Amino acid sequence: MNRYVKFAAIAVALAVALAVGGVFGASWYYTSQHGQGCANCHEMADYVGAVHASPHRNVGCMDCHEASLSTKLRHIRVHLMGTKPEAIRLRDVDVLAMVPNCQKCHQKDYAAWSAGPHSATYSQIFADPVHNSKRRLMDDCLRCHGMHFSGPVRDLVQPQNAQGPWHIIRLGFADQPTMPCQACHQMHEKDEPQTKPAKRFSVAGPAADSSLAYFDRREGMHFAAVSLPIPQLYEGSRPVKMNQDARQSICYQCHAPRTPDTDTPAAEHHWGPQVASGDDRTPMGVHEGLSCLSCHIGHSQNTTASCKTCHPEMSHCGIDVEKMDTTYANPQSKHNIHWVKCTDCHQHGIPKMKSASIAQANAQPLDSPTNN
Amino acid sequence: MKSESDERAEQLTRRQFVAASALGGMAVAVGCRAGARGNWEYLTDGQAGTLAAICDQIVPADQFPSASQAGVLTFIDRQLIRHFRGHQDAYRDGLEQANAMSRNRFGLDLADASEEQQLELVSALEHESNAFFELVRTHTLEGYYGSPRHGGNRDAVSWRMLGLEEPPLLGRAQYDLRKGSPS
Repeated sequence: MNRYVKFAAIAVALAVALAVGGVFGASWYYTSQHGQGCANCHEMADYVGAVHASPHRNVGCMDCHEASLSTKLRHIRVHLMGTKPEAIRLRDVDVLAMVPNCQKCHQKDYAAWSAGPHSATYSQIFADPVHNSKRRLMDDCLRCHGMHFSGPVRDLVQPQNAQGPWHIIRLGFADQPTMPCQACHQMHEKDEPQTKPAKRFSVAGPAADSSLAYFDRREGMHFAAVSLPIPQLYEGSRPVKMNQDARQSICYQCHAPRTPDTDTPAAEHHWGPQVASGDDRTPMGVHEGLSCLSCHIGHSQNTTASCKTCHPEMSHCGIDVEKMDTTYANPQSKHNIHWVKCTDCHQHGIPKMKSASIAQANAQPLDSPTNN
Repeated sequence: MKSESDERAEQLTRRQFVAASALGGMAVAVGCRAGARGNWEYLTDGQAGTLAAICDQIVPADQFPSASQAGVLTFIDRQLIRHFRGHQDAYRDGLEQANAMSRNRFGLDLADASEEQQLELVSALEHESNAFFELVRTHTLEGYYGSPRHGGNRDAVSWRMLGLEEPPLLGRAQYDLRKGSPS
């Protein structure tokens, strides 16, 4: 009996020593080789190989990924049992745990994102009485608001009705962002590290950073911005001039137009998706042909002072464009800045003198800053 | 009371136990490293090179990516330890045969042959080892046109080639329950 007690004690001591040594040893092992240690288990080799070809090549796995004792033990269990899933995906809690780690290096971008609408929390989106009393909560909401949340919407918020009051029931999620960094960025994408250019340079068209990608909840994976569609929209039967800036293809995934509803002229005549339908904000009128990012700064979505980019002086009417009656100056205005037209104010036609100055402005070269 | 020989036997056994534990731990560690297969779950790097040459003759690159560029190898490799487990022997033997044919004809492994030589050899493979060729062809098409979640059809490239938007754009209906149910 004594012998078995001793064996048991030794076995327990060995297990504890292995666990303690393993946890600290694994942490040291993983961090010391920029992920090469992680790659020794072949499940991770693909992902480590990808990150070594990405701008994050000099960042260790554990600089970004959470690796608690339970996570390590889970990895060991999956490895030994051979129960690796077909594709390794981060859990929703793992994605959220990464966000503060992004902040460590990308402080300016993080601050801009935090101050903007895309950092909205689960509580702000899903427990909003104004929205929930008007519209039904559904799983499809999570496609754009909570694309990394792993369950159905009923596991996130209750009650599922229009009366409320609504509460976030998933523990620890109420104050977490619904659109974290990984909503629009994939970190393991092949590219060179960013460096400050020796001198300023211009490019022929807008460049889409390789990390820009939309996380599609249905497929559980990122789609690179350059592979996403930019739809052709219509105003009635007229095709709208669409800017082909690949960066805004991510915007279109959520700020999307609708297939024309039945019993509408667009559906009857097969005109195609209409501009300003659904959540679409494609510029039309005086701003037709612009990209979302012509006015919105990427992480904050801020448009402050954006008018000055193209309107350094007064408008053709002699009025400061920022003070015109549009939603830019006043969100309650009936003239949405995305779709405002000359005829919104000049309902009886544009005066002759102003028509001439507009024609003159339109005749200027395309790269003229006043052309837009 | 235990005799001296009993105690010695017990000590020896304890040492053996500890030594066996340490050796076992080392074996697990060494075994993990020995089991590494580069970036593949089932295929070796050599087999992957041969398979890529065959797949890229079935779906070559034009203005759209080739089979291997679209991730078909990742798809087949993942499935060979899952749903295609029953085809492991066919792949191992078939890839070996393809390489042997290439060495006989060109003195090169298939992966190192020129594109023209690869096309010639894959055409020959279709006649001489039709069952294996059909298997690879079927799996290549499944990987190229299937869902990206399985490793192939990277960024849904083949669906875009067919004119399908992926992910589809789905705008919300702008309704207000307080003014009546949405249609």
